[in-house]
Amino acid sequence: MNLDRDAIKAAVRAKVIELAKSLGMDAGDIGDDDIIPASGYVDSAAILELVVWYEGEYDLPLKQDEINIDNLGSINAMADFVLKRKGGG
Amino acid sequence: MAFALHAPRVNNNDDIVQVIAFRVAPGDLVKKGDVVVDVETDKAIVEVEAERDGYVLKLMCAVDDKVAVGSILLWQGDSADEPVPESVAATPVEGGGGNARPTAKARALLKELGLDAGVVPATGERLTLADVEAHMAAHGIRRRDQTPAVAAPAGESLPDVPGDLVDLSAEERGMLITVSWHRDHAAATYLEVEYDPKAWEDHAAAYASANKLMLSPLLPLLAYRLVQLVKASPRLNATVVNGKRFQYKPVNLGFTVQAGETLYLTVVRDADSLETAKFIEALGEVQRHAIQRKLSREETSGATIAFSSMARWNVSRHIPILPPYCSLMIAHAAPKGSGRAVLGASYDHRVLSGFDVARLLMDLAKPPV
Repeated sequence: MNLDRDAIKAAVRAKVIELAKSLGMDAGDIGDDDIIPASGYVDSAAILELVVWYEGEYDLPLKQDEINIDNLGSINAMADFVLKRKGGG
Repeated sequence: MAFALHAPRVNNNDDIVQVIAFRVAPGDLVKKGDVVVDVETDKAIVEVEAERDGYVLKLMCAVDDKVAVGSILLWQGDSADEPVPESVAATPVEGGGGNARPTAKARALLKELGLDAGVVPATGERLTLADVEAHMAAHGIRRRDQTPAVAAPAGESLPDVPGDLVDLSAEERGMLITVSWHRDHAAATYLEVEYDPKAWEDHAAAYASANKLMLSPLLPLLAYRLVQLVKASPRLNATVVNGKRFQYKPVNLGFTVQAGETLYLTVVRDADSLETAKFIEALGEVQRHAIQRKLSREETSGATIAFSSMARWNVSRHIPILPPYCSLMIAHAAPKGSGRAVLGASYDHRVLSGFDVARLLMDLAKPPV
């Protein structure tokens, strides 16, 4: 597990692109602050897959009420939340 | 005194579970609620928890063994050196009998259930029908005539084309059971209504914004509305068993989740007792568990009504198969760019009329005021 902020962002971005690709979308230009659910690249089922991947990748079990836009809404938010929970941010 | 942990019934349709992993070994001290064994059924991998505190005395089967529901997985005791009862010191699914000789009626029922006499405690010198029935009640075991069976066509010949027979996967077997129940038991019928999705989309968007949700709540809100409508009309929440109407008390919502190649029917139990936000949370939990392949027994069984959406796949219509003992499954579709959406329903006509279902769909097409 690499807890470097840029590495987390790169991993999240790669996962979003992978999930979008499975839906026939190219999310290559998604911005770090773009709201992922509003981007149109991934649907709810894909976001759910993203969340489950995120929990496993960073050993970060989430409570249901933590799965919100503030914590996980963008690539930057997801990176910040890992670092905050792991004490690195 | 030693006490046994039995193989649980996970689905109505599965009389056998396969041991996937033991999390404990003899000598380990486990607490009530600790996961001690993983077992697999046709539909899911389930974690079996210790029912009491105690030391593990002996494992009664091995990884990959297939064991009958109700048979003993392991023995525990209050101390680590307690003796294991000899009469049941064998893997039950294929083992020999216990000490108490079964009566003819008990033997017939044991045979029907695929249970070994050694796993059923006798109250007297002989193992009686009442003993077996008490064991069934304690472990949720049903008689075969109360459970849907996969009917294999007798004497079915192979196609006149070269090929190989291949065993079905656990998921494929589960689907075969469901499809067979639908075919053999339900009087399955389908109808649908088209509706303008804008009101629902606006309702879901407002809810998502107010609650800062990551996932669109459209489908959970639709499912919750279904639960509320069924709660208000209990006759929608029923099935037929042995020629009688079985009226369910709780509304347990089945909700399909596609996890990779596997389609799960996840279940939110007692959905009618939950407030909107709690229901959405509960549904989110079972969806995550499905993707993680960590569904519990309660999350994969007991659906009394169900909801399925294929809006993701942009289909214009899908006609769901009714899960066993479920008389109503809603099918949602919303072809992209069409400006319309469809709410359909597969329903068991033995239980529900077209009027019941049409009225339900028309109500469901409108978000709550």
